[in-house]
Amino acid sequence: MADSPEEIKKAVRTYLIVGGILFLGTILTVLVATYPPFDVGAHGFDKWDCILGLTIATIKATLVASIFMHLNHEKKAIYWLFGSGICAVISLAGLTALALGDPIFDKFFYSGH
Amino acid sequence: MEIPYIVTPRKDTGLFNSKIAIWLFLASEVMLFGGFFSAYVFLRLGADYPWPERTLPVLPGLINTFVLIGSSVTVVFAWASLKMRQWRKFQIFMGITVFCALIFMVLKAIEYNVKFHHQAVRLSDYSIMEGHLGFEMAGDKPVLDHKGNKIEENLIYVETSKLTFNTVRFHKPWVEEFLTEAEHKNSKIVLAADVTAITKEGQKAPEIVAKAGEALSIEFLNRLQKIHLAARSHNGAYRTAALRGEWVKAHAANPGKRDWQIASGVNIDVKALAPKLLDEISTVAFKVDPPTSFDFHPRDIKEADGQSTLRDGTVVDGKLEASPMVFHHVDAIDFQYLVMKAVAKGIDPEVAIQNSWLMKNSPFVQQAWKWHLAEMDKLKKELAVHHREPTHKELYRLGWKDLARMAEEEGGAKISGADQFKEEFFGPNYEARGAETFPEFSLPREQVGFAAKFSPAWNTYYAIYFTITGLHGLHVIGGALVLSYYLFFGKKMYLTNPEWLANRVEIGGLFWHFVDLVWIFVFPILYLM
Amino acid sequence: MSSHDTTHAGHDAHHDEHHHDPGFIWKYVFSSDHKMIGMQYGITAMCFLAFGFYLMMVMRWSIAYPHQPLPEWMSWIFTDGWKARWLQDGKVTGETYNMFGAMHGTIMVFLGIVPLGFGAFGNYVTPLQIGAVDMAFPRLNMASYWVYLIGGLIMCSSFFMESGAAKSGWTNYSPLAGFADGQVVNQFLAGQTQWLLGLVCLITSSLLGSVNFITTIINLRVRGMTWMRMPFFVWAMLVTGFLLLLAFPPLEAAGIMQLMDRVGHSSFFMPTGLFTKSEGLADLSGGGSPLLFQHLFWFLGHPEVYVLLLPAFACVAEIIPVNTRKPLWGYKSMVYSVLVLGFLSFVVWAHHMYMTGMGAAVSTFFQTTTVLISVPSVVIITAMLISLWGGSIRFTPPMMWACAFIPMFGIGGLTGLPLAFNLADLHLHDTYYVIGHFHYVVAPGILFGFFAGVLHWYPKVTGRFMSKTLNHLHFWPSLICMNLIFFPMLVQGMAGFHRRWYNGGDAYLAKAQDSVNIFGNSVAHNIDMNIMMSMGAWTMAAFQIFFVINLLTSWKFGKKANSDNPWNATTLEWATPTPPGHGNFLVEPVTYRGPYEYSRPDCDEDFLPQWIAPKNAAPVEKPADKH
Repeated sequence: MADSPEEIKKAVRTYLIVGGILFLGTILTVLVATYPPFDVGAHGFDKWDCILGLTIATIKATLVASIFMHLNHEKKAIYWLFGSGICAVISLAGLTALALGDPIFDKFFYSGH
Repeated sequence: MEIPYIVTPRKDTGLFNSKIAIWLFLASEVMLFGGFFSAYVFLRLGADYPWPERTLPVLPGLINTFVLIGSSVTVVFAWASLKMRQWRKFQIFMGITVFCALIFMVLKAIEYNVKFHHQAVRLSDYSIMEGHLGFEMAGDKPVLDHKGNKIEENLIYVETSKLTFNTVRFHKPWVEEFLTEAEHKNSKIVLAADVTAITKEGQKAPEIVAKAGEALSIEFLNRLQKIHLAARSHNGAYRTAALRGEWVKAHAANPGKRDWQIASGVNIDVKALAPKLLDEISTVAFKVDPPTSFDFHPRDIKEADGQSTLRDGTVVDGKLEASPMVFHHVDAIDFQYLVMKAVAKGIDPEVAIQNSWLMKNSPFVQQAWKWHLAEMDKLKKELAVHHREPTHKELYRLGWKDLARMAEEEGGAKISGADQFKEEFFGPNYEARGAETFPEFSLPREQVGFAAKFSPAWNTYYAIYFTITGLHGLHVIGGALVLSYYLFFGKKMYLTNPEWLANRVEIGGLFWHFVDLVWIFVFPILYLM
Repeated sequence: MSSHDTTHAGHDAHHDEHHHDPGFIWKYVFSSDHKMIGMQYGITAMCFLAFGFYLMMVMRWSIAYPHQPLPEWMSWIFTDGWKARWLQDGKVTGETYNMFGAMHGTIMVFLGIVPLGFGAFGNYVTPLQIGAVDMAFPRLNMASYWVYLIGGLIMCSSFFMESGAAKSGWTNYSPLAGFADGQVVNQFLAGQTQWLLGLVCLITSSLLGSVNFITTIINLRVRGMTWMRMPFFVWAMLVTGFLLLLAFPPLEAAGIMQLMDRVGHSSFFMPTGLFTKSEGLADLSGGGSPLLFQHLFWFLGHPEVYVLLLPAFACVAEIIPVNTRKPLWGYKSMVYSVLVLGFLSFVVWAHHMYMTGMGAAVSTFFQTTTVLISVPSVVIITAMLISLWGGSIRFTPPMMWACAFIPMFGIGGLTGLPLAFNLADLHLHDTYYVIGHFHYVVAPGILFGFFAGVLHWYPKVTGRFMSKTLNHLHFWPSLICMNLIFFPMLVQGMAGFHRRWYNGGDAYLAKAQDSVNIFGNSVAHNIDMNIMMSMGAWTMAAFQIFFVINLLTSWKFGKKANSDNPWNATTLEWATPTPPGHGNFLVEPVTYRGPYEYSRPDCDEDFLPQWIAPKNAAPVEKPADKH
């Protein structure tokens, strides 16, 4: 934790740089989605746009969490506490998606249509 | 008694209390938004209709992202200033942060407002029309309802001759509306026939509770309700007592038998009980004299020719009038859903579109579609160079930008500069572009499959969009309130215990960063995917 | 023994110098003291429990005697208008039964057991056991109670609405819950909507509570109270806090979405082409997923089971060592088990959804995790059982309940195993077997643990013991009646009795008296059990009166406790004056050893409290807590 005034002064520079990166990341996200030369994968929205967009967002979120929210030098207890939340959300989103992707219905049931 | 570790961190954990608490709270917030994002994934992957891809205006969302990122930087600066004991700088940075929150909410409000005034309708054949509904006009002045509001041309009109209210369930505001509407149209709502009932035990002949011709009023309905409920309680008590008596007799007559073996023979002696019972008045009928046209919101009425029913149980007798849905300005035509249904049935998309009701009945749609097909040919050729194909949305949807381009190419109104910029926020500019770009269209009621504003009701995409952004907006408001509290009422604490205030600002800032962090995901997921 | 007490004569006078009297309202109503809030929680929760119990008694009448009018001793509580609206010739209608069923479940789970275990016991005991002066955020604690009370009142007041209270089951599945009460124009006057509003309040309340608990346990432990010196009670509360913190928000999300469905006519959980008898083809966009609601609900629902259970474990784990005069067997393995239990409870939820059409892979996953989670709970219950071995057991009133808890919870837990297996569950799903299973866990299990807790800490709260005689009159009939009610449910369930029959299967008798179901049983074979079970329920209600009498009269007339540590216990709550004043401890205690030091051979007495300095007075330990 940057607690002394000198350290904080140094940190302010970092905050500015991170802010700049966040701006650029946002612009990049929009370009990927709307500007044809930046379009990855097939024309229009497809899984590659999704992966790229979410990757940029995750990088931005990581920057906010680690620099602005000081997670890069936080106490161990915070990692445990917040980490438990992250684990739980992965379990929620992952397992529901898994359940959605594995329905019991198959062509056998639907062949009548 | 002093609770320790409010300001100074505990040695072994290295944390002060509120730091732990805020991170726990954020973990819980992660789960809350995690629930919504899981719902988004679930709804999108499981959607049985064409998911509206990249459908929101990007510019306001983009600006809002910049605003939130900027405020995230300033809030951390504000905290740093406090740590360095620079009150003035803290005020400036915190002021900017709160101002950013304000801009964010204003932009959000504009975005919401545009949606809530934009109408969509899914026809029975699954083609979709979007636009702006007209108002009922008398000459060039809008007709106002009894409350002074303009009347949107999406109502169901019934030439009403008789109204039958449920005395318990009637909805008071609707009764008031009937009354003022009738007065407005010089009609009277009066009791159709005498209401007669036995209201006291032992009464020989029914007494006249109300005479035919008595005017409708809420007090009157309340009076009948009271009589009805009293009779209901009275009769209930007698019937219960009678049934109890019957069971005592039945048990005595059938020793050792189970209830279910003798239940069919245990009945109340209705004849013996009848003299003691009162009359319940569950409904009361009024005639409308002369018959008058009342309007109803489509969601409130189950309409049918002859007899319609309102949601509160009121029965409306009368002739159903033509109640078209009138678009003052049509600004999009969408065949995506129709094509999806057609393909599922093995029908060629183009055939299905040509056979759709809109193509058969609207010259404008025919003309626009012809133009669109030519555009698509061009686009296909362009994309073929890169071995690519147009998207489903490009192929089968004519958005307002397409319609505007078409009109411009064919010599319609052109707008530019500030007007064009404004369109990015407020949507199509009907006044400047005029009726040749966004024409009027009247859709007969029987063609309406499902209609809604661009509200949560329109489809699950808008539902999740409004829920996530609305909840996020509430977080922005909450965070801004807390931060402005530190800004405006923090001076005293700054002078007595600046470290404590710095801690508090850090906690508030952590929450603010989290709000920003959620938006970092919300923006691409809801605006760009 | 008096040498062990930190109390000294005249402490009250000494104490009051620092705190001027805050006045009745601030002391008893808007108190921010954790002990008073704990008691508020306890009293409120017991009232709700009594109300939930009453709803159940009415339901049991409908099951046992579906053709007979509700007797006066149960129906007197209704107004005449209410009787006329919701009873038909005095008989309970299906609609009323559904309403009572939904509200019975909701009240018992969300308004009764959770606040009693976590809110009452947790609030009162946790800060005392870790030597803290109060919770970390006393005013947040107060807010938590009041939000809970408001949520509870909103839910219960919905009985007075024209359309009645919620009636779509306590699970509130959409689309049923989505269009129930849809005829009400102002949706905020519909019970089904008020249920959701109440739920959002309750979730907010437990969020505030859990943040407070975890912070308190992490940061306010007294000197020397290292993690492995915390009583098991505190561990259990820590894990419960995490479950509440992380499992509730997805349900809040689901609740908000369902609220949007009801008020904003969205279709989060409403499928395309929904057709109902009352409304015809729904005027909705469709495209939503009813299954989504179930996922979000059960993501909470399963951890919720442990939120109910862990506080009862916690109470029993404190009572057993005190009354066997020997350390809790396997303290460390219990602690690790409870942590594993907490973790696993987040990955088992879909075993409630085997019938929803999940594929084999996902079903297998959830079946495996479900069977896995039985391991830590069996470790805990076994450790408790072994703790009895070789102890010199004192059958004090709390110990009687604790001893009954173990086998009763054992039945509840073991009957859960067949439900964990996909194949067996296909047959048992939605039968009375399920009802029997979870009521064995909750009623004779968890409630017995709480009765034990009340009796155990009563002397600390009031300075007096509860009556032994009255306790006998309460305990034995309760034990017998509980089994009378719930054991036949297991039998009926295996015979195929559906859990939502409002008339106890009567309708099936009339249609096909001799038809035999797949279990080779006809409904007629088992239907008479209904009467026995209902009799059991009403008898049990009568004997709960002794508990109420005991609770109230002992406050003034109970046998006085002769010291601040009447049970000769070792944990820190017994180092406080009786009752503990605001700020709890007269002198800040220091913890020197683990929580269950009983019958040490090197001591004169058979217990060595955590706060007694070692004889060869070593210098006070620094908090050696490496995190």
